[in-house]
Amino acid sequence: MGSTPVPRAIQMPPQPNREDIELTWKYLEMGIDNIMTRLQDGMDMTTYMGIYTAVHNFCTSQKATNMTGSSASGVGQAHRGAHLLGEDLYRKLKEYLNGHLAALHQESKAHTDEALLAFYIREWDRYTIAAKYIHHLFRYLNRHWVKREMDEGKKNTYDVYTLHLCQWRLEFFTLVHEKVMSAVLKLVEKQRNGETIEHGQIKQVVDSFVSLGLDEHDASKSTLDIYRSHFERPFLTATREFYQTESKQFVSENSVVEYMKKAEARLDEEEERVRMYLHNDIATTLRRTCNEALIGDHSALLRDEFQVLLDNDREEDMARMYKLLSRIPEGLDPLRQKFEAHVRNAGLAAVAKVASDAEKLEPKVYVEALLETHTQYQTLVKRAFTEEPEFTRSLDNACREFVNRNEICKAGSSRSPELLAKYTDVLLRKSGTGVEEAELDATLTQIMTVFKYIEDKDVFQKFYSRMLARRLVHSNSSSDDAETSMISKLKEACGFEYTNKLQRMFQDMQISKDLNTGFREHTKGLQLDKQALDSSYSILGTSFWPLTAPHTTFNPPPEIQTDLDRFSLFYKNKHEGRKLTWLWQLCKGEVKTGYCRSSKTPYTLQVSVYQMAILLLFNDKDIQTYEDILSATQLTPEVHDAAMGILLKAKILHMKPDGDKPGPGKSFHLNYDFKSKKIRVNLNISTKTESKQEEVDTNKTIEEDRQLVLQSAIVRIMKARKKMKHSVLVSECISQIRSRFVPKVGDIKKNIEILLDKEYLERLDDDELGYLA
Amino acid sequence: MSAENSPVMINLQSNDNHVIPVERAVAERSLLIKNMMDDLGDNALGQIVPIPNVTEPVLRKVIEWCEHHRNDPPSTNEDESDNRKKTTDIEEWDQKFMQVDQEMLFEIILASNYLDIKPLLDVGCKTVANMIKGKSPEEIRKTFNITNDFTPEEEEQIRRENEWAEDR
Repeated sequence: MGSTPVPRAIQMPPQPNREDIELTWKYLEMGIDNIMTRLQDGMDMTTYMGIYTAVHNFCTSQKATNMTGSSASGVGQAHRGAHLLGEDLYRKLKEYLNGHLAALHQESKAHTDEALLAFYIREWDRYTIAAKYIHHLFRYLNRHWVKREMDEGKKNTYDVYTLHLCQWRLEFFTLVHEKVMSAVLKLVEKQRNGETIEHGQIKQVVDSFVSLGLDEHDASKSTLDIYRSHFERPFLTATREFYQTESKQFVSENSVVEYMKKAEARLDEEEERVRMYLHNDIATTLRRTCNEALIGDHSALLRDEFQVLLDNDREEDMARMYKLLSRIPEGLDPLRQKFEAHVRNAGLAAVAKVASDAEKLEPKVYVEALLETHTQYQTLVKRAFTEEPEFTRSLDNACREFVNRNEICKAGSSRSPELLAKYTDVLLRKSGTGVEEAELDATLTQIMTVFKYIEDKDVFQKFYSRMLARRLVHSNSSSDDAETSMISKLKEACGFEYTNKLQRMFQDMQISKDLNTGFREHTKGLQLDKQALDSSYSILGTSFWPLTAPHTTFNPPPEIQTDLDRFSLFYKNKHEGRKLTWLWQLCKGEVKTGYCRSSKTPYTLQVSVYQMAILLLFNDKDIQTYEDILSATQLTPEVHDAAMGILLKAKILHMKPDGDKPGPGKSFHLNYDFKSKKIRVNLNISTKTESKQEEVDTNKTIEEDRQLVLQSAIVRIMKARKKMKHSVLVSECISQIRSRFVPKVGDIKKNIEILLDKEYLERLDDDELGYLA
Repeated sequence: MSAENSPVMINLQSNDNHVIPVERAVAERSLLIKNMMDDLGDNALGQIVPIPNVTEPVLRKVIEWCEHHRNDPPSTNEDESDNRKKTTDIEEWDQKFMQVDQEMLFEIILASNYLDIKPLLDVGCKTVANMIKGKSPEEIRKTFNITNDFTPEEEEQIRRENEWAEDR
């Protein structure tokens, strides 16, 4: 024995007497001790089989019953069936482990910090490998005695491997875990301060702590309790302290922007730390701890900086701030509020810049000012705030505010939809600004962006339909495709009802086209002695078109009267019972000059039908008096004066005596020396006062229509509900109408009163209203 | 046959010193041997495995069973608690395999318990159970050559305590 200086593989003496616990245990203890301390030297099969067999033999020995000192276990015990042996073995094994662990504890006292970590890990590895061996070697004990004990619900009896872990925890871990953890934390702090560390050690400590989490009630299950209370908790406390100290100092020495970069880097580092050597269970709590120390504690400081970043367009820094503050609960709310206020002010400022002369404001300039602000901040929401829905909402709120309530809208919020509709008209009108088709559609889409924010959508509708009517009647729309595209955009935004009339207007124009073709065919078949006029007619449904009959009487010139009568007859035959009303103010025509001395080629004058009637009078006489013209044309003086004014200005006619305005006592004569650079002269120009008047009219009808909309909404609601509280009715009414315009509560109340007077509604008890059929 | 494909052999030595070479996969039907091979690793290959508790004839018999059942799926805890325990059905090959004298039958049971071959232990125990099934105590005593050392009072007490197990 003593003659072998080099370590040899573990070898065992011969098998002990199977019935003698003392001998058997001596034999086993020697084997176990070898496994615990010298396993690196190797082990042969004979030894392995020897230990296994010793355990088996002891547990199956006949007389061993006496060893357990169970002479008291009389008949009852015998009736349990075969008596299983093993308790002594189990107890002895436990005693051995306790001794081994006590020795480890003594030894551990010599080490601190990293040396202690190394010691802990080395011993842990050695111990757990040995535990696996011993578990296998004691399998017979596990299969029978331990199984029986556990089946019978005995507490504190575990399979052999678990027994190892339990004893480690009880006899070693509880004594050293604080020292081990403080070594771990020192190491981590080193790393946080930029040193390179052997992080594999920490990983192993984590794994060991996790392995020790045994469920007291079911040894086959494991829990993270031990790891959580002995690793996570101190780890998180240390982390919080570290970052609280660090961030406090950093903030006092650096700018907020620098601090955000630092915090971002630190947060990434900690995520990486989890991946590298921590258990994933800590990820959430570690993140929360870091968020609190690095962001939460400084959130007020960060938010104060936000305005500065907004003012200076620091997109990247705002993105960083957004990312940081999104990590703490309710971190973003104050940002959103600041953002909303900022966008609103930016929009108001943009409007104020272009609003110096509100009267002459170009619709295009105004709409572009609105759009520019929107685009700028929408881009910011996209790039810096990841299009987060709440930020988008703040943007929308701000835009709605500055679109509907700004310097231009001081008089009333209807200015915005009016200007927007006018800009749309400019875009869609022929010869407008000459925008390309593709560009046009993009611009229309932008129009819709502003439209979305408009509160008085009914005002837009009104102006839009008037201008569409004008484009259609004068056929100076730039393209049918663009018109249809715009209408379908509106339909998408506001629904069928909103665009119904607009679409009907289109249909009328199409029907009229077919009708004209039919009329021309009809005329050809008549074989007239005089050539018919080249005329075309538009039949516009009264209820769809925002047009009213002329304010003046009118006697059309005989030159066109025949054709008009023929068309009227043709139409009556086609559609019996329909009444035609001539909208003279929209009629126009062309006349040629055959009298001009200065030019061989005759001029073509594009004129309104009123001007035409005046001019045709000069076919008979070169001079006409004011009174004669009025009686021949039957025009009211106002209408006549406007039409005549343009003829005079263009020097087609001369007035005598000279003066500023046509009026009674004046006379007019034809200017034979009329000269123009162009062959075609457009005289059909609407005057400023006319379009001003139209604007006022439109706004007036809007107010009237709104009352009707309110009344019909009230009646509709009451018809459905029969009975309703006054206040509930008012709020229901607002929610139904809001998509069109924002109704005033006073208006709603007023209209309720009107309906009460008209006996559509009745007053009931308790502030309730009832519906009267 | 290349070296990689040739099966790894393990030499088992019975307690009467006979060495029997067995394919590793077959020998590992015994959990004891399987755990040992796993624990000791490749270093242990080539060493003779002493089986100190089993004689040559019994060991050969056990190996025969392992050969036949080498490809059985590993038993799960599930059917251990359900089917296997409830039925005493034995598949045909195993029935024939168990047609041995009583001495050998008990040796096989002891060996499979020692070597930790659960399915074989089950088959052995079921075979014994089938020998007991339907027999009176007297017949059972005769079958297994047991002398009755109970007093009539003791016998009566046992009968009363186990009444619940009687067939009705």
